[in-house]
Amino acid sequence: MKTFDYTIKDAIGIHARPAGNLVKLIKGFSSTVTIEKAGKPPINGSALMKLMGLGVKCGETVKFTVEGDDEDAAAAAIEEFMKANL
Amino acid sequence: MDHKQCASEILDAIGGRENLASAAHCATRLRLVIADNDKVKKETLENIDGVKGVFEAAGQLQIIIGTGTVNKVYDQFIDLAGVEAASKDDVKAAAAAKVPWYKRAIKTLGDIFVPIIPAIVATGLLCGLLGGLSRAFPSISDHYIYNILDLLSNTALTFLPILIAVSAAKIFGANIYLGAVVGMLMIHPSLVNAWNIAGGAETKTLWSWCGLWDIQNTGYQGHVIPVVIAVLVLSVIEKWLHKHVHEMFDLFVTPLVSVLITGFLTLTVIGPVFSQAESWVLDGAKWLITIPLGIGSFLMGAAYAPTVVAGVHHMYNAIELSMLADNGQNIWMPIATAANVAQGAAALAVGIKSRNKKIKSMALPSSLSAFMGITEPAIFGVNVRFVKPLIAGMIGGACGAAVASLMNVYATANGVTGLFGFLITTESFLGYLLTFAVAAGVAFIASWLMYKDPVTEGAKAETKPETAAKPAPAEQNITAGKSFDDTAVYSPLKGEVVLMQDVPDETFAAEVLGKGAAVEPSEGKVVAPADATVETLFDTHHAIGLTLDNGMEMLIHVGINTVELGGEGYEAHVAEGDKVKRGQTLITFDKALIQSKGYKTVTPVIITNADDYDEINTAASGSIDLLDKLLETKKG
Repeated sequence: MKTFDYTIKDAIGIHARPAGNLVKLIKGFSSTVTIEKAGKPPINGSALMKLMGLGVKCGETVKFTVEGDDEDAAAAAIEEFMKANL
Repeated sequence: MDHKQCASEILDAIGGRENLASAAHCATRLRLVIADNDKVKKETLENIDGVKGVFEAAGQLQIIIGTGTVNKVYDQFIDLAGVEAASKDDVKAAAAAKVPWYKRAIKTLGDIFVPIIPAIVATGLLCGLLGGLSRAFPSISDHYIYNILDLLSNTALTFLPILIAVSAAKIFGANIYLGAVVGMLMIHPSLVNAWNIAGGAETKTLWSWCGLWDIQNTGYQGHVIPVVIAVLVLSVIEKWLHKHVHEMFDLFVTPLVSVLITGFLTLTVIGPVFSQAESWVLDGAKWLITIPLGIGSFLMGAAYAPTVVAGVHHMYNAIELSMLADNGQNIWMPIATAANVAQGAAALAVGIKSRNKKIKSMALPSSLSAFMGITEPAIFGVNVRFVKPLIAGMIGGACGAAVASLMNVYATANGVTGLFGFLITTESFLGYLLTFAVAAGVAFIASWLMYKDPVTEGAKAETKPETAAKPAPAEQNITAGKSFDDTAVYSPLKGEVVLMQDVPDETFAAEVLGKGAAVEPSEGKVVAPADATVETLFDTHHAIGLTLDNGMEMLIHVGINTVELGGEGYEAHVAEGDKVKRGQTLITFDKALIQSKGYKTVTPVIITNADDYDEINTAASGSIDLLDKLLETKKG
């Protein structure tokens, strides 16, 4: 299991487009990804509606938990995606 | 922002507390009724920190503050102004009170008439048609089918007072069944039919009101105003009694007493006043048409429609009959025709010019009916409501009537006007044709030039930023007459269907977020496509995520990259976690504003759990209305 935190730098936060792309990325791995924002119950990273429902904004921190066969690759890819897009 | 500061600046800018009649707020706006609009400094208002926009609508000054803050500003505002917190209804009532009485009266009359228009249009058309046919082919009037149709055709007009009474009772808040009783009373078979009296039927005096005037046993067939007044009286008495009669007796005392008093007043005061007015109108009309050179006819042609509005035109038959008895030349009928077809043409112009579907669907059939001589639908349903078409019709009627008089047009019988009038004016065909054409032509042009679609609050709001309308009142009707099934997705917007791959954004086009279709909206409103829960509502209100009750997850994203607008131009009508019903308004948006900022308004409707479905296909193309089928789905 791998976990890491990421603080959003994008002014708009995780809105529809990046959420969609993130979910698409996560679905490409076999690992289970859980995304957690303080004060809200953790959600499954492949559920787009739930991810958008978190309403993650600029300056907020989300915690990713990746678990599964390809967790190392998945965690690295997600982190890279976040840095590049959010 | 400082709510108190904002409130105090607003109060200053509207001219202080003296200039404030009442105040309320809705989800985003302060809604104020102002005593003197000239004292409001609109520019100052618009520049106050926290004020996002200002406009006037429906007699209210509406100041857009925004969700979540408007209530705080409002609390400070009423504190400072020292006014009572008003409900939105109070503000509406205060705003209505600012509208002059005659406009309110006309609006009320229209409100009463509109619901019963289908009944009278249907039978009015048939009535005109049969009247004409029986003139052309007198033999058919013996046929049993004709007799059945004839019975059918005049039912609504015969019992018009009952229809009016029921509708008026609804408007005035009286019990509709008691209202119906009052309407029935006025055309009770024991009273002598008003139409027959014009034909010479005898009436007898029932009673003399304290020796002041005689009460005749006359019915009120075809009357409008006396019925409306009677029901208004009923509603006042009934409401007063409801308040003052003990609950235990209310059920039988209130209906008994209110019908009793209303009925008695109707037959002894309201009715006689109108009979008196009718005979004055008759005398006036008789005198008027004796003025030579077409001037008298010109004036009568103009005055005819208002006498129909007042419901005092029933005695005109008497004029026609006496003319026919005199020299066999009925010169009244061409005047009536001019007035009637002019009202029809005025309504026709409204029907063609209006962009409002509802107005169109009312104006077109009622104008047809007016051309056949039954003018009530056109006059009450359309022309009186908008006033200008009525005036246009009066101008046309006057011109047509003048032509008739100058060309000495006369009919050889009575009972029909309009198109079928040709059948009884064979001796002056050309003159009648010209009368018809002038009346209709002038009225049509005048009405076309004068008429403008009413600016509703909603329509006005669409041109202003972040002021998109409140849930439209017609909302509950948009699901009416449609059937829905679970495997289809119904369009949450009205506009043109756009295939997902044609959406000018690769994230949507590549179906990264899910499958679906997009709509290029023609109206700035998003409604729930089915009963659902609001899963996600972006703070910027440009997109909404729903979980439908059938398990489908849907994202409706209004416009492309519109997240960058930060909420400007959007108004949400629901909140996250809300349960919504199919057809309920979710978001309204200002299309023009969004486009003016350089964004596209094409709105993808995406099924985000597309993986749960075997197939998702676009089921529509071209233009699509709210809740028309947009997608078809298949599940294994």
